[in-house]
Amino acid sequence: MAEIVCALGVPHTPAFPKMARSEGPDGPVERLFRAVREQLEAVQPDVLVVYDSDHVNTFFFNKWPTFAIGVTPEIYGPNDDNSGLPKTVVASNEEFAHHLYAGGVESGFDFMLAQKFEIDHSIMVPLHFVTPKLNVPIVPLFINGVAPPLPAAKRCFALGSAVRSTIESWPKDMRVAVLASGSFSLDVAGPMMEPGGNSGTPAMDWSNRVVELLGAGKITDLLEETTSDQIARAGNVAGEILNWIAMLGMLDGRKPSFVEKHDGFGHAFAAWRWD
Amino acid sequence: MSVYTINELCYRSVHDPPFREALLADPAGTLATLELTDEERDAFMTQNIGQLYLWGANTFLLGHLMRYKLFGVEREQYSKSIWAAARSVGRPAGGP
Repeated sequence: MAEIVCALGVPHTPAFPKMARSEGPDGPVERLFRAVREQLEAVQPDVLVVYDSDHVNTFFFNKWPTFAIGVTPEIYGPNDDNSGLPKTVVASNEEFAHHLYAGGVESGFDFMLAQKFEIDHSIMVPLHFVTPKLNVPIVPLFINGVAPPLPAAKRCFALGSAVRSTIESWPKDMRVAVLASGSFSLDVAGPMMEPGGNSGTPAMDWSNRVVELLGAGKITDLLEETTSDQIARAGNVAGEILNWIAMLGMLDGRKPSFVEKHDGFGHAFAAWRWD
Repeated sequence: MSVYTINELCYRSVHDPPFREALLADPAGTLATLELTDEERDAFMTQNIGQLYLWGANTFLLGHLMRYKLFGVEREQYSKSIWAAARSVGRPAGGP
């Protein structure tokens, strides 16, 4: 049967590829992503399940899902141009993705089915650093983290638990890694942007609190404190924390093998191992 | 009120390059083809980002106007306008 072998949490700032080039291999972006990548490479996964919030690039408000899953052999991206990454195609695993789709619906999580779609920087930036050869197939699970009303934190946590059960009911041997993409405090082009850039981090205290709770494994506290009001105070894309929370629903209260804040940003890097 | 169309304009500016080129080449003429009110067209033409925000446009999407400098929107004007609009209704705002 399929088994989960590791979980990773990373941000997806579009400027990261450019920052990594200017900071060099020992700069914070390369160093933090290397720490995550090494965890992933050590477990040699067959597939990477990605929790992501579309930035209104994969979907639009003509059809806007709270939860969606991509079920397709391959996926084009990035379909936005803010990261400067080359446009390419990433392999998926259609059969396994359909299993997750069906398992979700059967257990009360009604994913919208997406079979023809593209992905944006919020998946491609993490892949650029974590699987630079794009040699691990991905299955994207989308959670609305940018256009309120957002799903409740506890609902996302339960979704993660349901996805885990569905993964473990897959009859074939498969090593499954999980990645959550997103920040904890970030306002992009919203009223809490700061001078000199196109974004702001209005709730650095909240971001630090999230990192503290993640490190201590205090997930019940995190679920209580991740309210819609708290997310709104933390910025217009701060709902990306829901991707992390869905992933936490798969972890059985494990503590991370590492979690580290990225200085000056409202986000962190983290990994969980099963061995 | 056509918040959907305001958002759609921003979305298309990323995903429909010929539309983006048309907005850059002939902003008023392109706006005239969209289902917007005169007031909404005026808000775009006068770079009144704060008003578009107050009408309920998605702020992440509005950022595309700044990214592509549509309607001549520059970052400084964009931020001043959205900060002032947020403050006018008692919402938190960044900036000086």
